[in-house]
Amino acid sequence: MAEKPKVIEKPDVLERPDILKPQAPAPLVAFPIEVVVPEGRQQTPAVGQRASRADGRLHGLGQTKYIDDMYFPNMLFAKIKRAGIASARIKNIDTKEAEAMPGVVAVITGRDIPCNSFGPSLKDQPVLADTRVFHAGDGVAAVAAVSEQIATEALEKIKVDYEVLTPVLDPLESLKLETPGVHAPSANIYGHKVIKKGDVEKAFAESDHVFEGTFRTQMVEHVPLEPYACIAQWDANGRVTIYSTLGRITLGRADVARTLGIPMSRIRIVATVVGGNFGGKNEIRAEPAMALLSKKTGRPVKCVFTRSEEFTSSTTRHPLIMDYKTGVTKQGKILGRKIRLVLDGGAYCSWSETTLGKACILSAGPYNIENLYAEAFVVYTNKTMTGAMRGFGAPQVCFAYESHMDDIAKALGIDPLEIRLLNAFDEGSLSPTSQKLHSVVVKESLLRAAKRFGWNGIGDGVGNGNGA
Amino acid sequence: MACMWYPIGFTVAANPSAAVVKVNEDGTATLLTGTVETGQGSLTILAQITAQELGIATDDVHVVSADTDATPMDTGAIASRTTYVTGNAARMAAEKAKLTLFEVAAPLLGVKPTQLEAQDHKIFVKGFPQRNMHIGDVANHARVVSGQPPIGSASFNPETLALDPETGQGKPFGTYVYATQIAEVDVDDETGEVEVIRVVASHDCGTAINPMLVEGQVEGGVAMGVGFALEEEMLFDAQGRHINPNLTNYIMPTSLDTPDIEVDIVDSYDPTGPFGAKGVGEPTLVPTAAAIANAIYDAVGVRITSLPATAEKVCKALQAKREQQPKQIGTGAALDGAASINTAVQ
Repeated sequence: MAEKPKVIEKPDVLERPDILKPQAPAPLVAFPIEVVVPEGRQQTPAVGQRASRADGRLHGLGQTKYIDDMYFPNMLFAKIKRAGIASARIKNIDTKEAEAMPGVVAVITGRDIPCNSFGPSLKDQPVLADTRVFHAGDGVAAVAAVSEQIATEALEKIKVDYEVLTPVLDPLESLKLETPGVHAPSANIYGHKVIKKGDVEKAFAESDHVFEGTFRTQMVEHVPLEPYACIAQWDANGRVTIYSTLGRITLGRADVARTLGIPMSRIRIVATVVGGNFGGKNEIRAEPAMALLSKKTGRPVKCVFTRSEEFTSSTTRHPLIMDYKTGVTKQGKILGRKIRLVLDGGAYCSWSETTLGKACILSAGPYNIENLYAEAFVVYTNKTMTGAMRGFGAPQVCFAYESHMDDIAKALGIDPLEIRLLNAFDEGSLSPTSQKLHSVVVKESLLRAAKRFGWNGIGDGVGNGNGA
Repeated sequence: MACMWYPIGFTVAANPSAAVVKVNEDGTATLLTGTVETGQGSLTILAQITAQELGIATDDVHVVSADTDATPMDTGAIASRTTYVTGNAARMAAEKAKLTLFEVAAPLLGVKPTQLEAQDHKIFVKGFPQRNMHIGDVANHARVVSGQPPIGSASFNPETLALDPETGQGKPFGTYVYATQIAEVDVDDETGEVEVIRVVASHDCGTAINPMLVEGQVEGGVAMGVGFALEEEMLFDAQGRHINPNLTNYIMPTSLDTPDIEVDIVDSYDPTGPFGAKGVGEPTLVPTAAAIANAIYDAVGVRITSLPATAEKVCKALQAKREQQPKQIGTGAALDGAASINTAVQ
């Protein structure tokens, strides 16, 4: 208390209130006080503008309507029973007890689906498994109830009688012809691709050094913020409207028409604003089952996957096993490269064909290689199906060809940047499929990244904690 | 360091997109497209392309998307194809609507339609910008006087050539993009834990229709790549059941694991793309894991041959490397020779 008059009598410069001090520039804060409306949207020419997104304001204000936010009068909520077994024969499904539960309005199984198969290339996926389970995430029955809780409880009352079979889990095992077929009687290899150019064996013989390496990648999920979701509404005219998180509505409508056996003109698919796709929502999942539940009940039916279902019952990224063999000159010029890729295709084909193609074509890297032999296989296993995911096999092969490249550079004592510049594509280079390439800027990107990064050659490789 | 190449569009198979552009009586426009906005901002890009062709601003274009009853077919938001394929379709549809506007404006401006240009909300005579009409006036005239509503529809399909089944030779894609990423990592040589500090990402996307959205794609792709490189993995038990189907046990990078990302857009122009654009969606993730693996190798001299490079895996590799090396006390440079490229981890 005694100090108070002292301050008034002898004002100290350091104790002056903040307001009297010269204003420092405002620090960057997470929530800007002033909302700056970017003008890029209003400007011409439109191309090249840093235009803000039309949906940005709605996202920012939390007003975007995702499927989970949508509600229709009398809507029912659906849940799907998952097999939980990687490989089995379904002997019987008893849904009587579930159907008798108060609040449960309808239950369907695979037998209710008019044409129980779909897929972007091979039609090997059932909407709901009816006779066989090919991976643990397969659905075996779908329940529509007045609440999500009741639908979830009803799943427990569905009794499925399985004959458990031995699953095939290792892709290299699956590759062997004597391994029992996941989709018997066919062999497990369901896709094969070769890119052949020049003579690799001759190139290896002429090389100063030949390097080999094997690389593997894992299975990962897209993990979109919004899991897969849809609402189906079958009207009295026999026309069905499906709101879905699908990224490909044109293909989706064709698949729904096929599985339900109705003309496309009776199907309307509306894709809502999707909370992340990354390739995981490029084909239908539960849409036909929801449409049938809606038809059966005369009410709109909504289905939103749980996070667990998003992992086990939607597509994932293909794990790859990649063998590389590369012949180079002393100077680091690649003379020949031989590659074998084995893709773990999971239980169903899905987008494996595209992934196989891209992985195989891109596997040599952005380099001029005159002698090339790349061979890729995709095999079935009793695991979660693999499909489209951001990069379609490219991140996997890039991990292999770029790791391999640094190994070669290290062994030859060449800077990783130099060995890349020595081999990289130029304008007009021929790709592994002998396509003449245009607007090629791989060298520019290498040099610009190196300059920006402050690249000064290879590190000492002994743990300076500053690897690059 | 890792560089890459990546195609835009599907492998060989036809992957067309169609679009419809309607110019309203006030000179604003509506684009109908069957593609889906999945968070990447593709509808904004399509609005910008349409606006550019019509000489109006992005805000003047409303995009109606993703309804099979109302919008034309589209192969979908997949394969990094929206800007290139759907963008080309949108540009061509806008061009057709624009040509109708030119036909209407030509007699009013006393020239031939081929002598007109659209820019900055105006339709004007090439070389004589003072002889112009507001696009809204032309569009209104088109409806109420000429009876020619300006509507254009078009489709685009990348030119490809089927691959030979034996040799795989052919032209599988319309165009490709290129990129390099360089990562800086900090490896704890006791625990094996890897922290990605900085990633420099130089990406080619052709013309950047919207540099801000390109940066957003690259930042998202790199973050996803960090997860692929270091943490994420779906694990199965001996019976083939997925044992970590939740975000407690399936470890993903959070904002705290995201490195400083420096985005660099490489100047490039693709004559086959809309206004020179190609695409950028998927490629942003492609080189990240490779760049991180090579940075780990550079930092501690161990080669991780199987992803993810978890702390456990890096730690084991470091132990194996130490066991292989003769025990000696010396400088880092002296130990360097022993850092064998065969130090593989499985």
